[in-house]
Amino acid sequence: MADESDQQIGDVQLKEPLDLLLLSLDEIVTVKMRNERELRGKLHAYDQHLNLVLGDVEETVTVIEIDDETYEEIYKTTRRNIPMLYVRGDGVTLIAPPSKMPQ
Amino acid sequence: MLFYSFFKSLIGKEVVVELKNDLAICGTLHSVDQYLNVKLTDINVTDPDKYPHMLSVKNCFIRGSVIRYVQLPADEVDTQLLQDAARKESVHSRQ
Amino acid sequence: MSRKEKLQEYLESIKGRPVVVKLNNGVDYRGVLVCLDGYMNIALEQTEEYVNGALKNKYGDAFIRGNNVLYISTQKRRV
Repeated sequence: MADESDQQIGDVQLKEPLDLLLLSLDEIVTVKMRNERELRGKLHAYDQHLNLVLGDVEETVTVIEIDDETYEEIYKTTRRNIPMLYVRGDGVTLIAPPSKMPQ
Repeated sequence: MLFYSFFKSLIGKEVVVELKNDLAICGTLHSVDQYLNVKLTDINVTDPDKYPHMLSVKNCFIRGSVIRYVQLPADEVDTQLLQDAARKESVHSRQ
Repeated sequence: MSRKEKLQEYLESIKGRPVVVKLNNGVDYRGVLVCLDGYMNIALEQTEEYVNGALKNKYGDAFIRGNNVLYISTQKRRV
């Protein structure tokens, strides 16, 4: 029997945070990285460092430029697609499994 | 160990290593170690106008910690095998 | 009780509670704490992402890598 303090997501026991990734294998996840980078792709592998292998990845990079005259902040996003990508864990800040909540 | 074994299985294949300083190096994966340092042979810099100083370099050793991404040949990756390996590894690394 | 045990007890006691997690980059995550480990890796439910105080994103579940965590606070959620 699981002890009472275990929290649940869905009907699966979650003993440690990394279990969230175990449940997300073969699912499309959102990965937030340092330097305003965001990835979406299918999670094929991860380890305790958060090294990842993602498939069919879309990377979005956001850069903020300051307009010379108005000093307005302009957000510029560039997107690209990568069929198969290894991501080094030290750049990762957050991983979100596919949401079951209405957005 | 998962990613070390994974990269070993890709030795001899073409990869693009993207570094944290935005330099991207395309080459053949020659070797990898436990720190995920890699050696590439027959390299090309994908943006030679931006980084002309790499043009004459043919082989290189890259410290694992400066790598941001490695673009992999998708058709050389057995995703089912990878996922199974990740599931097995998760059991071993439990605290 | 040693300090270490007190900290463990605190971390255990806040599971299932609404928390605010602040990261080194200044971003706040508000959500229900599911669990956390020794690296301060955190799993949150019903997560809301606040950048400069403005709601930017919602995630059903979220895994936060521990090295980016500045603090975890059990402050009540703003309405």
